[in-house]
Amino acid sequence: MIRRTLVACSVAIVLAAAVVTAQGPAQPPAAQPTAALARANLAKPRPKAPFDLTGVWLHGGGADNSFRFSPPTGFKLTPAAQVHYDAARKAQAENKVYRDDIGQCWPAGVPLIMTRVWPITMMQYPTVIYMVSEFMNSLRVIYLDGRPHSDPDVVVPSWNGESIGQWEGDTLVVDTRFFVGHHHWVDSGIPASDAMHVVERIKLLSDGTTLQIDYELTDPKSWEGTWKYTKRWRRVEDRDIAEVSCLPDLNEHMPTTKSGANVR
Amino acid sequence: MRTKAVTLACAMLVVAATAWAHHSGAGVDRTKTVTITGVVKEFRWTNPHSWIDLEVPDAKGAPTVWSIEMNPPPYLVRSGWKASTLKSGDKVSVTLNPIRTGEPGGIFVSVTLADGRVLDGRGAGPAAPRPPAAQ
Repeated sequence: MIRRTLVACSVAIVLAAAVVTAQGPAQPPAAQPTAALARANLAKPRPKAPFDLTGVWLHGGGADNSFRFSPPTGFKLTPAAQVHYDAARKAQAENKVYRDDIGQCWPAGVPLIMTRVWPITMMQYPTVIYMVSEFMNSLRVIYLDGRPHSDPDVVVPSWNGESIGQWEGDTLVVDTRFFVGHHHWVDSGIPASDAMHVVERIKLLSDGTTLQIDYELTDPKSWEGTWKYTKRWRRVEDRDIAEVSCLPDLNEHMPTTKSGANVR
Repeated sequence: MRTKAVTLACAMLVVAATAWAHHSGAGVDRTKTVTITGVVKEFRWTNPHSWIDLEVPDAKGAPTVWSIEMNPPPYLVRSGWKASTLKSGDKVSVTLNPIRTGEPGGIFVSVTLADGRVLDGRGAGPAAPRPPAAQ
């Protein structure tokens, strides 16, 4: 009886092994070349880009090219944002600093990351532009491969948001949304919420030495209407970017960030 | 003409002083300078800010550590600095813009080294911010 059982089991095992061998081991489905740098995606025929941003860029500053995204004349905030704005003005009147989250190592985020006076390295491919600011090495990705914005229920919010770019004549129009809505500021006391939407119209001027971006910022949770700005950067040919990190043991030695003048 | 030159110089100073910061400088009194003499406890050559912890005797002679915030190394290099310029134990004088609250610290302006050399930290290389008139 025992012998017959063992024979039956052996036959069953051999048959099962034969079936597995015939089918082969379970394979994951073939990966689709949807990544921005997938070779098949890069190889797709596309119109030649009107310009190439590849290079290092530094915001110019100056009276007509502020580093800040200050509220426009006559601006109106939502009640929730007004609380922050009033607190920031009160702190300013007392020579204090209101919620300087960037100083506390939170990411600057779009749009402020674009106008720090640290150079931004930009690398342009047919399918994507990578921007790495020297300031905390913040990474920003602008997809050019025709993909739509992600499913809002799936996308991971970020300080630089999800950027989708499309060429319109000699202009690159970039639509950015899905931002983190905390510790994220457009200006002192002006919070960026998770509803912020940024449209940038990017042009290359002056024989490729000037980068100009027209901004349109909307955020129904923080302000009414659309705030518009124009910013310019100059191409920097003599400077590479380096590793820059905001670390806990940095701020322990920074009088500005540890001082009692900071209003949290 | 002289007024214009002074105005431009002030504008350049403001731009240079705020350009590199990773934070707001509103808590610092840029109109005042303080010079302190002490012993270097630690000097860190790093991004986004270099810094000096300087041990300075207070009014009663007790050692107090002043935190002194500096530009990143690329700016300091243009002002003649190297990583080896300061070592722990060096006796130096530092001029700084103080924190408004009176806490022992501030933004670096210049140092007088033990050998008498004076170095600022603003940098003046080609990547430094350009004055408004040049834009």
